[in-house]
Amino acid sequence: MARAIVRGISVSTGFAIGKAVFVNRRHRSELPRQTIQPALAGQEEARLRAAFAAVEAELAAARDRIPMELKEHKHILDSHLMILKDPKLAGAAARCIRELGVNAEWALEKAVAELEKVFGVLDDLYIRERLQDVRVMSDRVMAQLLGTVRELLAVEGRVIIMAHDLTPADTVALEVSKIMGFATAQGGKTSHTGIMARTLGIPALVGASDLEDAVNDGDLVIMDGVGGRILVDPDEDELAEFNELAAQFEDYQRRIYRGCQLPAETIDGYRVHVLANIELIEEVAAVLDNGGEGIGLYRTEYSYLNRTDLPQEDELADKYCDLAAIMSPRKVIFRTLDLGADKTIASFGALEEANPAMGLRAIRFCMQHPELFKTQLKAIARASAYGNVSIMFPMISGLREVRRAKAKLREAQEELRTEGKRFNQDMPIGIMIELPAAVMIANLLAEEVDFFSIGTNDLIQYSVGIDRTNPHVSYLYQPLHPAILRSIKQVVDAAHQAGIEVSLCGEVASDPFCVPILMGMQIDCISLSPQAIPGIKRIIRQARMGECKALLREVLACRTVGKINRLVRDTIFNKYPEELTFFASLLDNDDLGG
Amino acid sequence: MRQVLVTNQLGLHARPASQIAREAQAFAASITIAGPDQSVDAKSILDILTLSAAMGSTLEIRASGADAVQAVDRLTELFAAKFGER
Repeated sequence: MARAIVRGISVSTGFAIGKAVFVNRRHRSELPRQTIQPALAGQEEARLRAAFAAVEAELAAARDRIPMELKEHKHILDSHLMILKDPKLAGAAARCIRELGVNAEWALEKAVAELEKVFGVLDDLYIRERLQDVRVMSDRVMAQLLGTVRELLAVEGRVIIMAHDLTPADTVALEVSKIMGFATAQGGKTSHTGIMARTLGIPALVGASDLEDAVNDGDLVIMDGVGGRILVDPDEDELAEFNELAAQFEDYQRRIYRGCQLPAETIDGYRVHVLANIELIEEVAAVLDNGGEGIGLYRTEYSYLNRTDLPQEDELADKYCDLAAIMSPRKVIFRTLDLGADKTIASFGALEEANPAMGLRAIRFCMQHPELFKTQLKAIARASAYGNVSIMFPMISGLREVRRAKAKLREAQEELRTEGKRFNQDMPIGIMIELPAAVMIANLLAEEVDFFSIGTNDLIQYSVGIDRTNPHVSYLYQPLHPAILRSIKQVVDAAHQAGIEVSLCGEVASDPFCVPILMGMQIDCISLSPQAIPGIKRIIRQARMGECKALLREVLACRTVGKINRLVRDTIFNKYPEELTFFASLLDNDDLGG
Repeated sequence: MRQVLVTNQLGLHARPASQIAREAQAFAASITIAGPDQSVDAKSILDILTLSAAMGSTLEIRASGADAVQAVDRLTELFAAKFGER
């Protein structure tokens, strides 16, 4: 038996067996606090200065390695560098050594505490939060002082990188060829670590809160990116088992990869378009490699996060035009800003909302900030001149919202015309169907737009009234709940009656148990994470439309989600036994479902 | 001494503050930026942040030392250029 099993959220699948190496961890031990002789103050100050200089050099080097696509990260590193050089931090710590006669670690702690006092009383929330940057920097200097810094380049062999949290600065400093996996105590599904790991094709776990307590540097660990866990110090049997699994996984990956550029067509000739969800332009390579036929959902929030100012039209247009041109003639669907709720931009501050998921977010937020919205609309419209670009609006609840959003787009296009800038006047306009209200009036909405995209992640949560990150109610997150299936079917039927395309872009689209049912409904497109495309395409290519329709009929006749899940699991599992070993399904917690 | 007006939309947030501190550190002169309530060291990004200067605030830049005039000129330019924001 392994010494411990640490659970986390898998953000990149696969298996890895190797040595754990921490690049940073929360300080668990007491800091060494000593008073020192005045004669030694000079020496202690030199030690402090050397620690600051070492971190500075590290950051400066990381800054130079940042690729163009991650320009935002450069600004963060610039501010971090200035904090390191700040007399209020380094200077104050040095003064503590001299005047109070304490060692460097203690002096640094005091200097940070002093800054915490000064910043703590400020009214401006954004500026108060800069304290976090001070802490990040002082932690790194502290690690230098304590000698707990790992020189990654000196690490022997390949390793599994562990950390309290990985910042962009950390990840660019790593030598990627030596890394077999990532695990962090902090972070969620959308964290930078996941994007990085998926791009590298290695497993990653985030939000593994027990990581720092359970794993020591140098421990042998098994990372199970399918099951979302880490086995610490495994025994012989476990090693053998996972070696075998890892080999099978590699073999399976090779097989699905081989056919991933073929069209997703069933044996009886029904074609589903398989597109990709992306967040960063650098993911385009993964989309094409994995057989994505286009971008079904480009989440545009990233350019707005992790910075304190707003991106300007030219900056966005540069990025958007590049994306459109690289993908051309393949489709790229831009989803306009889905900010608010958990993603807020510094310059607008966080609203005090009791229930942000139901608050001022997405299209509602954009309508309240017309200038911000117009800047983005103009940039997207400009990209439409360079490729096959569509636009879609998130969180639509009614006709008026669609009409107002469309009017804003027309305004933006008019401005471009006046400025003599090119755009495609007929750029297709779509909306996300992710609110039950939109489902109910899908037939009316269909008259207003060129396509629908069903966002099941939110639709499920709003339909059954739960937050799935809330462990008390997450068991109710059931994609195959009869109400959800009926909702999706109603939207697909309404779209087809109006003669418009309908696609689906939630996690359901990458669930092998759900996709055949969606096909039975005759969904036109699905959009999923690039890495999931080969497996899903292979499932589609082995399916028959007749069977999918039969399964859908059976499923719609069931009265409870429990019954549906059992039926679906048996049917699909009998058909694709080996495929499903390496798929994590959303149906795993069905036993409690009602 | 020179008066400057904060004209960029977001005020002296991290990016402008980091620009000011970087430029200021290139001068030998000691430089301060004064708001209505306090005066801070222009070479310290953290100090500048604590001014919490929003758009529309008026600040004073003071410097003393060999290259004081150039220092004030340079920092005034940064404010006038809105720190590269539009």
